Amino acid sequence: MKRTLRRSTLILILTIAFIGGIGFFTAELLFNAGDWVDQPYNAHISGSGGLEKAGSILDRDGNPLAQSVDGERVYSDDETVRRALLHTVGDNSLNISTAVQSKYRSLLTGYSLIWGLNMPQSMRTSRDIVLTVDAETCKSAYSMLQTGFEEPKRGACVIYNYKTGDVICSVSTPGYDPADPPQINEENEAYYDGVYLDNVLSSTFTPGSIFKIVTAAAAIENIPDIYQRTWYCDGRETIGKNDIHCYQDTAHGEINLQEAMEHSCNIVFAKLAVELGSEKMNAMAEKMGVNMSFEIDDVFTAKGHYLAPANDENVLGWTGVGQGSGEYEDKVNPMQMAIICSAVANQGTAVNPTYIKGGNGDVLKEIGIKQNKTYDFLDPNTAKQVGDIMPVYEIGGLTVHAKTGTAEVGDEKGPNAWFVGYVADSDLPLAFACVVEDAGLGSEYARPVAEAALETAARLRGTL
Amino acid sequence: MDMSVIFDAGVVGLRIIMPLLAIVIVYQCYAAMRRRRRPEKPLVSLYNPNSGGMIPVVFWENSIGRSKSSDIVINDLSVSRNHCVLLRRNAGWFISDVGSLSGTFVNGVRIHGRAQVLIDDIITVGKTEYQLKRGDDFNSPLRASRFFSKVSDKPAIQAWKLMFMITMFHLFMAVEAMFWNDGGNVYAPMILFGALAVVEWGFFSVSYFALRRVNFELESLGLFLTGIGVLLLVRQVERSAYVQLIAAALGIVLYCVIIKFIEDPDRSDKIRIPMMIIAVLMLASSIVLGRVTNGAANWVYIGSISFQPSEFVKTIFIFTGAGALDRLQTKRNLIEFIIFSVVCVGLLALMSDFGTALIFFVTFLLVAFMRSGDIKTIILPVGAVAGAFALLRFVADRFNFIADRFNYVFNRFKAYRHVWDYANEAAGYQQVRVLTYIASGGLFGVGLGNGYFKQYFASESDLVFALLAEEMGVIVAIVAALSVALLMIYARAITTRSRSTFYSISACCAAGLLVVQLSLNVFGATDILPLTGVTFPFISSGGSSLISCWGLLAFIKAADERTYSIKR
Repeated sequence: MKRTLRRSTLILILTIAFIGGIGFFTAELLFNAGDWVDQPYNAHISGSGGLEKAGSILDRDGNPLAQSVDGERVYSDDETVRRALLHTVGDNSLNISTAVQSKYRSLLTGYSLIWGLNMPQSMRTSRDIVLTVDAETCKSAYSMLQTGFEEPKRGACVIYNYKTGDVICSVSTPGYDPADPPQINEENEAYYDGVYLDNVLSSTFTPGSIFKIVTAAAAIENIPDIYQRTWYCDGRETIGKNDIHCYQDTAHGEINLQEAMEHSCNIVFAKLAVELGSEKMNAMAEKMGVNMSFEIDDVFTAKGHYLAPANDENVLGWTGVGQGSGEYEDKVNPMQMAIICSAVANQGTAVNPTYIKGGNGDVLKEIGIKQNKTYDFLDPNTAKQVGDIMPVYEIGGLTVHAKTGTAEVGDEKGPNAWFVGYVADSDLPLAFACVVEDAGLGSEYARPVAEAALETAARLRGTL
Repeated sequence: MDMSVIFDAGVVGLRIIMPLLAIVIVYQCYAAMRRRRRPEKPLVSLYNPNSGGMIPVVFWENSIGRSKSSDIVINDLSVSRNHCVLLRRNAGWFISDVGSLSGTFVNGVRIHGRAQVLIDDIITVGKTEYQLKRGDDFNSPLRASRFFSKVSDKPAIQAWKLMFMITMFHLFMAVEAMFWNDGGNVYAPMILFGALAVVEWGFFSVSYFALRRVNFELESLGLFLTGIGVLLLVRQVERSAYVQLIAAALGIVLYCVIIKFIEDPDRSDKIRIPMMIIAVLMLASSIVLGRVTNGAANWVYIGSISFQPSEFVKTIFIFTGAGALDRLQTKRNLIEFIIFSVVCVGLLALMSDFGTALIFFVTFLLVAFMRSGDIKTIILPVGAVAGAFALLRFVADRFNFIADRFNYVFNRFKAYRHVWDYANEAAGYQQVRVLTYIASGGLFGVGLGNGYFKQYFASESDLVFALLAEEMGVIVAIVAALSVALLMIYARAITTRSRSTFYSISACCAAGLLVVQLSLNVFGATDILPLTGVTFPFISSGGSSLISCWGLLAFIKAADERTYSIKR
């Protein structure tokens, strides 16, 4: 009998292991319950579930972007603001999974592990969330994308403070009015294709000439006499097995690095990429985070892509000007480009952006915002030189260093127009990236969007 | 004051009361198990006329030998390490030689097999002589085990009071289900509750008045969990709730039958082989007659009734594994049982019922170890199975025709601890939803019938832990899980007070089987273990499973010496 007792210890150990497992599970539940709840398939919070008494979402000035009034969820009373901030704020549904109202629904509705998601409405404590975005700036960018051209354009525009990380403007088109969400059917599905995707965070685009920022950084770091060099551009030249040409074969003549940047000369930058070789190009792209995904308030940005071929000079050249092809095709994400520009503006160190300014209670802690995360993308010296050769614009009284891009995408679509850069004024330290799809020259399509937003943002001078 | 606030407060109040009540119920069940025992006194004693020493005999079966782990240790070189077994049966005391070198003698006559010994008989073991005396002749106090430190004649709680609390808990569940009515019959939960209460109190009355048993804690615990399982179904598939209740009644009948059937601990030895053959035939019938349901061919359909033979084989498996102490010591080799186990696990694997196969395998290890005490009996089979699995995986990677069959298993391994990366693929789909809805329920749950997890496949069976946690709160879910796990603590505590090692081994293994099954259910669903596909004991929907749980509970009840020896 004693032996039986002693041997049964084995089964006792199993039981103790089970109790330990329950303890482990409880710990996991305590730490992760909030994340586990905020899932698009969670029927407790889908539809307008739980929004009847949810907390408000406000912009940086305290303007309500979404709030619950008499059991109804109402959005900004300005329709353009509603549309402009759709992807940032979200709507009643959980379709836009990266929006604040989707990813922090449990917080807004007063979820707590103690009461779960079915606390009677009269007994909930909900949280308000204050965003860093400025409704007016977003509205300006959105208006330009929607009405500034011959037809409403698809695209994205993001502006953020490269000192604090605050996102001032974040707009993605196409969108819709969250107060009146569309029924998507066969007729309109082409227009609404990808409407639930926030292009700022979740899309990648061919960069075209804005990628020359990366190529220039590689050249500055690796070629000692880069500023003494000049090149001759005939508009078209055979590099490797095929031609590389400038936009519409425009010849730029004899030019130096700064002029090549200004005229966005493909020949010069393709030659630089070939001279540097795939190894150094890949290394610089890696260093500047081109192949990285950034975690921004619990959302991972779409990964960019850069890979230079080792044995094809022509394709290597094309990757150096932001095109490439096939498996060597360049891709970048708008938020990522803004982050890269912020590194150029800020001595090589980029601050991770955030959309969340605060709220009532311990919202920041509950969300777990990593306010001080930074990336060292460039040496301070290189960053300064890259900034110096970027063309300078004067926008709304601000000194703006920026690079245009016009990326060929084929498929009978117009090029992606880009405008990325930063404000050099220390009292309004903003980095930005704007992209317009199926458009034309960066200077004709993307620049007006950025200008509209920056001009509105200029009124924030000194207040950021 | 706004009426809705008062109403809401009532709902919240009810939700808070239920987990507390669940904790009290489970605590009381276990507190009651510790009480009302016979005091720690020797049953008989052995008097050594040469030395004048007196040895208390405290167990129903006592091994005697030179080995330090014997119940009665004799330091005499002429005594074998395992010499003989002194055991008590209804007919009195017996001594059984278990293959000693020098033999065992009663009143000077060498015995073969079991021989009865009477008070004052002289037992000779090696060169040592003992005279069998009454227990009262030994008068030093004995140390009580910790579990039974509070032994007294008074019950911790009157059995009917415990049953009343359980009934109240089930009533509250029914009230909640009435309140969260999503279009069904408002009174359906109350009707079901009424039927459940009839079964519960009917069983209680039979045990109390007809069988005159003194204790009802183990049954109370089973009824508590069974009732939760039945009521969980009322707002999901009402018809299943009644099927479950009928299964509960059948399970209770099986429970009583098994207790009666194993009343004689020596019977198992005589009918072991026939029982094994029946078990194998039952499993084989699922292969021949079985229909593939959800990937595993473990269901047999007879007319409109379907059942899983593998569930019933579990009880036979436990039954054939255990044995009385003298039989265990004479017949050391496990070959019969090993062949039986290999056939069972093999048949289950053929049915692709890997969850049950794993439970059988672990139970086999437990039985083998309980019988032999040799750690090799664990290491060797585990090594063999791990090797086979690795080989299978290697082969599966190369030849797709095998991969198909085991794909699901391998997929789960791939997603293990990374389920969020597979949220919308088969490999992680269930687990992430389980976690989401457990978290959605909070500590107190969203209310019976008010959850959404019930819409998912297998939410009432393999994933019932999440259904329970979402609707009743994670406290109730964990209390329910722990109450099953604690059966093992209880089974172990009564080990040495069983009437035979047959009971103590079978009780420990039955409890172990339930714990293993529980672990696979709870941890598989929550991604703490990479396996799913088994039921939560007593709570998961599934008639065969519920009946087999009651069958296993019978072994634990039988191990309690009061079951057979004390009447009210």
